[in-house]
Amino acid sequence: MMRRIWMVAARDFRATIASKGFLLGLFVMPVLILIIIVAIPRIMNSRALQVRGDVAVIDPTGSVLPLLRTALAPTAIAARRLQAGRLAMPPMGPGALPQGFARPAGAASLPLLKILSLPPDTQASQEKPWLIQADARQQPSHLALIVIHPDSVVRGPVATSYGSYDLYVSKSLNEATESVIQDGVQQALIAARLKASGINQDALQSALHVAQPNAILVVASGQRSSNRVISRLLPFACGLLLFIGVITGAQILMTSTIEEKSSRVVEVLLAAVSPLELMWGKLIGQFGVGLVIVAMYIGLGVVGLAKFSLLRFIDPTLVVDLLAFYCITYLVFGALMLSIGAAANQVADAQSLMAPIIMLLVLPYVLTPFIGQAPNSPFSIAISFIPPVNTFGMLARLASSTPPPQWQVWLTLLAGLCAAAAAVWFAAKIFKIGLLMHGKPPNFATLIRWARMA
Amino acid sequence: MESAVEVQGLTKSFGATSALSGLDLVVPRGSTVGLIGPSGAGKTTAIRMIMSILFPDSGTLRVLGCPSAVAVKNRIGYLPEERGVYRKMRVNAFLSYIGRLKGAARADVEASAARLMTRLGLADALKAKCEDLSKGMLQRVQFVAAVINQPDLLILDEPLGGLDPVSVRILKEIIADEQRRGATIIFSTHVMAHAEELCQQIVMIHQGRKVLDELMAGLRRQYYLRSIHLEPLDPAADLTALQGIGGVQRVQLTTDGCDIRLVEGTDPATAIRAIAALIAPARIEVSRVRLEDVFIRLVAGESGTEQSQKALRTHLQGLAAEGATI
Repeated sequence: MMRRIWMVAARDFRATIASKGFLLGLFVMPVLILIIIVAIPRIMNSRALQVRGDVAVIDPTGSVLPLLRTALAPTAIAARRLQAGRLAMPPMGPGALPQGFARPAGAASLPLLKILSLPPDTQASQEKPWLIQADARQQPSHLALIVIHPDSVVRGPVATSYGSYDLYVSKSLNEATESVIQDGVQQALIAARLKASGINQDALQSALHVAQPNAILVVASGQRSSNRVISRLLPFACGLLLFIGVITGAQILMTSTIEEKSSRVVEVLLAAVSPLELMWGKLIGQFGVGLVIVAMYIGLGVVGLAKFSLLRFIDPTLVVDLLAFYCITYLVFGALMLSIGAAANQVADAQSLMAPIIMLLVLPYVLTPFIGQAPNSPFSIAISFIPPVNTFGMLARLASSTPPPQWQVWLTLLAGLCAAAAAVWFAAKIFKIGLLMHGKPPNFATLIRWARMA
Repeated sequence: MESAVEVQGLTKSFGATSALSGLDLVVPRGSTVGLIGPSGAGKTTAIRMIMSILFPDSGTLRVLGCPSAVAVKNRIGYLPEERGVYRKMRVNAFLSYIGRLKGAARADVEASAARLMTRLGLADALKAKCEDLSKGMLQRVQFVAAVINQPDLLILDEPLGGLDPVSVRILKEIIADEQRRGATIIFSTHVMAHAEELCQQIVMIHQGRKVLDELMAGLRRQYYLRSIHLEPLDPAADLTALQGIGGVQRVQLTTDGCDIRLVEGTDPATAIRAIAALIAPARIEVSRVRLEDVFIRLVAGESGTEQSQKALRTHLQGLAAEGATI
């Protein structure tokens, strides 16, 4: 019996792995991810044209203009961008990201702004037409007019707040450059105010900055480094891996069963193997296919994390947990999809039956980031024990910064195994009857009737 | 003789439709049994239950000494009515896969495949993909898959339908070879002439019930000698006078003369002498009754109206023509 099961499994595995569609799907997704992470920002940066133009300033205070020249210099703009990038990505330890990886978008094309000083008593209404005049080369280089309020540096005797500034822009000014100008004005105003108040800006900035360390997770077995970003991303990444592996294997399982049924080869197979042997063979074959996908993504993930020196933030037992939960989740959803494949005459018939199963698969995967953020909330704990979504819930909790108690993991495994046994039992019943049934497309009521009949 | 297949009271329904009711069947080892009847009679359902592909609502069966075919699938060759292959697979890989699933060694399977494919004129197709073969070629490939493991029990469901005359002849030769090798063969068809030619025992099924289970020899004795065809020398001769001859049950006029049905137990030689004495014959012979006629008599009954018999015959001939042209 086992020999025949393995033969069916091996054929199904080989037929899927060698198909052009599968190979294309296998490699297209990682390539797409790579493109999104690395190539697209570079392409966008390389294509962003450098903005060049004039910014006119009316500064009645006389103290903002020199600081604004400094703040809108390309080096200052680049420094602000780098700082913004660092804030978005907290420190990750000794292995810094490779140069260029965390570079903020647009860094390659810093705007080149020429600051024009206008007399302090100039009326803004007189200068507005300047913004719609083209320069000698008929290019729209008049970008903005900044009018600093007189009380923007030193408050009036009774005022509780500082004045600000007015900004007039030409329609040729893009949003990114407008932000650069606004940031520059803000920086210049703050510097001017601090100077006017006799406060040392460097000392203040130094006092305001607190370096964020990587948290050290202390557990019974010892301690390990943790990282906030990794802790946030990991539950989602694990859920994604589980989802991709299961959906790929289960969907191929369903379509290949429908194909075998509609091409009538299934009766030839049933002359050589029992329905149960055929079912297990197919389940195991596509399990292998899903495993290849999961292994490939784990491998890519490990290589990527190692490249950025982030591997130390990952608990190796998480890979074992992921594989265990993949087995259970695949058995549950694979068996259900297999029964749909055995019942349907063509892929179109299967769509309506598939929809609730796909929902059951997508919903917990979508919830994984939230479960990861609150791994010990009543909702997260409850979802860890309710099949068939329990595996996603528990995996997200295990990948979070505060893993659950071990007894809860065992309970999830037990609940998952019970669900898998029930799903395989149901699939076996449907498989036995549905494979040779043709004609009217079945619905869920038909499937339940067949399960009772078999 | 020990039985290859024993079936008792096999019953199967699909919802409200009864596909088979109370089928009893014994297939002796080494025999060739024709399972005949029109489409929808229940032949394929019976075969699928013998193969343990479908499971009966009630009744028992034994296949090659086991209570289910599952335990002996390696010893059974099966050509289903609805043919199927893995379209993307190469022919040799497909045959090797099916043969090895049935427990044969790879080398044996490959040797058998090459031999049989050559005999069927398909040696060049061994390395082709199944999807590149014509329907007729695929049918022959599937026949090879059925016999590749030299089965003890060979079940062929409509094996000759849709094949060209040359392929039909070669397949009949291979079936005869399997008979000589000692295989038990169950041959299902609605083309009764094929069963008449190949089978030793005939089981007729109609509307899910067995209406006949006889050895061909017995059928010949029972039906073939009870009808005499006469072509009179004088086309104007009064053939109704034949009704008066002792032992004549009925005289049915035909375009060239008449068919004379004899009462059971009448000696055909005596009857021929009496007929020839009354009306000078241009030709007189014992009619070769076809299984189709036997089936019509059994289903429509001796007393069945001529119209109902004609309708049934037209139905059967239509099916046979379909079988020949599919």
